[in-house]
Amino acid sequence: MSQATRLEEKNLQSYNRLDKINGDHPLKEILPDGYIAYKARLRKGGKVSYFNFDLAKEMGLLPKDHKNELNDLLIEKLLQTFSIQIINEYDIQNNKIFPKSEIKDGTYMATRYLQLQHSDKIGKNSGDGRSIWNGRWSYRGKSWDISSCGTGGTALSPATSKFNKFFESGDPSISYGCGYAEVDEGLATSLMSKVFKNNGIKTEDSLCVIEFKNNISINVRVHKNLLRPSHFFLYLKQNRIEELRTLIDYYIEEIRVLPGWERCPSSSKKYDFFIEKFCETFAEMAADFEDKYIFCWLDWDGDNILMDGSIIDYGSVRQFGLFHHEYRYDDIERFSTNILEQKRKARDIVQVMEQAVESVKKNEKQTLSNFSKSNTLHNFERVFDERKKYNLLSKMGFSERKIRQILKREPKLVSQFLGCFQYFEKLKSKDGRIKISDGVTWDVIFNMRKALRELPHIFIVNPKKITPEDLLDVFKAETTKGYDLSISSYRKRKLNEFQFYYLKLVKKVAKLFQEPVEKTLTQMSVKAQLLNKAHRITGDAVTHIVQLLMQERRKMSTEEFNDFIDEFCFFQKEELTKPGEQKSKHPSALMIKAMDILIEYGEGI
Amino acid sequence: MKLVFYSGGYPQENQKIDTKLIKIFSKKDLKLTFIPSCSYQSEEEYIELIDQYTPYGVKKIIKLNIDAPYSNTLKRIAFQSDIIHLGGGNTFYFLNQLRKNGLINELREWVHAGGVLTGLSAGAIIMTNNIMTASFPSFDRDDNDENLKKLNGMQLVDFEFFPHYKNSKRYDLELMEYSTQIKNPLYACPDGSGIMLNDDELSFIGKVFCFFNGEKYIVHK
Repeated sequence: MSQATRLEEKNLQSYNRLDKINGDHPLKEILPDGYIAYKARLRKGGKVSYFNFDLAKEMGLLPKDHKNELNDLLIEKLLQTFSIQIINEYDIQNNKIFPKSEIKDGTYMATRYLQLQHSDKIGKNSGDGRSIWNGRWSYRGKSWDISSCGTGGTALSPATSKFNKFFESGDPSISYGCGYAEVDEGLATSLMSKVFKNNGIKTEDSLCVIEFKNNISINVRVHKNLLRPSHFFLYLKQNRIEELRTLIDYYIEEIRVLPGWERCPSSSKKYDFFIEKFCETFAEMAADFEDKYIFCWLDWDGDNILMDGSIIDYGSVRQFGLFHHEYRYDDIERFSTNILEQKRKARDIVQVMEQAVESVKKNEKQTLSNFSKSNTLHNFERVFDERKKYNLLSKMGFSERKIRQILKREPKLVSQFLGCFQYFEKLKSKDGRIKISDGVTWDVIFNMRKALRELPHIFIVNPKKITPEDLLDVFKAETTKGYDLSISSYRKRKLNEFQFYYLKLVKKVAKLFQEPVEKTLTQMSVKAQLLNKAHRITGDAVTHIVQLLMQERRKMSTEEFNDFIDEFCFFQKEELTKPGEQKSKHPSALMIKAMDILIEYGEGI
Repeated sequence: MKLVFYSGGYPQENQKIDTKLIKIFSKKDLKLTFIPSCSYQSEEEYIELIDQYTPYGVKKIIKLNIDAPYSNTLKRIAFQSDIIHLGGGNTFYFLNQLRKNGLINELREWVHAGGVLTGLSAGAIIMTNNIMTASFPSFDRDDNDENLKKLNGMQLVDFEFFPHYKNSKRYDLELMEYSTQIKNPLYACPDGSGIMLNDDELSFIGKVFCFFNGEKYIVHK
């Protein structure tokens, strides 16, 4: 057998691994009423629009040496596995008959979890409204949960909850809740999640997008564990402490194999370890979201986030270009939280989780208000504050080693600079609140990422204060109007304070590491440029880039399309490219178009 | 006027040109501004440039990305440098960005006022009369995705520049043919070689070839 034939044989065998993704999941046994089980049927007419080869290889679904190319057999297997639609209550009520050959063996879970927007508020009829769990995949000691969005309307959809009746999947009379997903939504999620993952932001991964006529799709997502805090809170709200304990125990056993959980006790002290970890995770996540300008609509129900602080459901997730702290998404019936309120909501989630854990420990539901001043919440504040300082120093461009030292030796100076930085970051236009296409906002006037990008270069040449006018010019956003740029005596003082603290920090570090100031600044300039790049993706930009891709992909093969996604994600990386990582030193023609979009919407929502 | 044209190659291949460049200056503590052709992977280029020039005492090296918004303050400081270095990449894209930002004239004025302008590959081509040479050879040329019609460069010298030249028939045929269509000589430099204009003195570093009126000449061995 030739080497090529052996390779092909190996690839073919690996495709059969997908057969194991058949709806089976350990949660089915552990919490029999934590989900609704649906039979599913093959859905015809699908084509694979996007497949994440890197992720498939990481998961061991494909051999490492598999070419990043789709072939007929792989496509067929992917469609057999993921191109499915549930047979829902509407189908059964209306006696819909499907050929037996098209009905999948086994059942798929639509899991129950708490969602505040559902009227009952205790999660009796809320959860996966248009998703099912494809199952659990394990490989070399690691496991992944796999779910698909757009596989048909479940009884847990908001539409069923609101109108108290079952709907046909794809019913055009209801939009959100019809059970379908859209291609552009899937591609935007694929792009954003890959960019975020590359940059160390915890997120769901996109494995595959299967496209159907009329812009409809099934979007397959993957994560080590797809449980949300709201899966737990449902039992707390319903006062079902035993089920709550079962779920927490299950989660701890699942997660204890992961890095950082090695010290987790096996006795009942594991609950204390768990809540401490959970608190730290959510405090760091809240700080990271703020500092990376990530808008993620959080609420105390813990719905739009995973247990490890990973982003799930990119529908309303944005990455802002500026610190648009007054932006609120208009969800028709209510407005979202804004980016500054995310911290409070993350804290609320921690408080409810502590209530859940203590209820399990005491075998009785505890009152939420008992935990409003708990040590856990104090710890949340402490971790959040520390992370904010760390993030600012990192965005300034200091290396890990330098950050550690400066935090240890000059915590007060860092706090002073942070306060000053946040003052400018939040300053708003005189124009006031304005309505935009999907919500409301109030423009901020300074691009502090641009400032962090440029300042090392400016001070390399001369590490002395520049005039307030020049500094304001460095700060100002592209769209800022002249009347927002006046320099009052207070603003002048703050501008001077800003550069005083900035330069003081730089000089302290240079002295500490016994190097010339320009060397410190040169090193900072590289990292600051990468972390604050002008071509950083925003929510507005991703919408337009996906539109561009929807036009261009007709002319592209799936492989070319995947290559572009990789090229784009490499460009978005906040660290230097390693040798051999990037295929070309120069951007492709499509990448140039995308770069223009990134700049055009670079300061957007 | 002081100009340096780098063909390309690894930093160690360009040491002779670097040394000649630094000798132009009588002072130490030189400042250099790097203008990359494109933001894409420009940090990696910036680091290479720091590694290349720091051994010569150039310790203040800054970068100005021109395909992204930048402040007037940064631009003003960039133009206070002793050397401005135009990077390599796609010549058409680079020229378009320089034009969009009104930098062609500003750089020209800066050079006439005594600034030392250096360019590598695309950056060097742009310093000449026009950038037609970026379209050669047909098997390895820059794509004009910008669809630029006017291809005139900074027009600082009366010759054209062809970087990454390989002494082979395939190249020669195309360059000889092109040289019949232009009035000025076309200098072709393999990687590691280059040209320096120091006021009125034109000097060649490493192997340099000239294509003129359909003929090929060796200018410097």
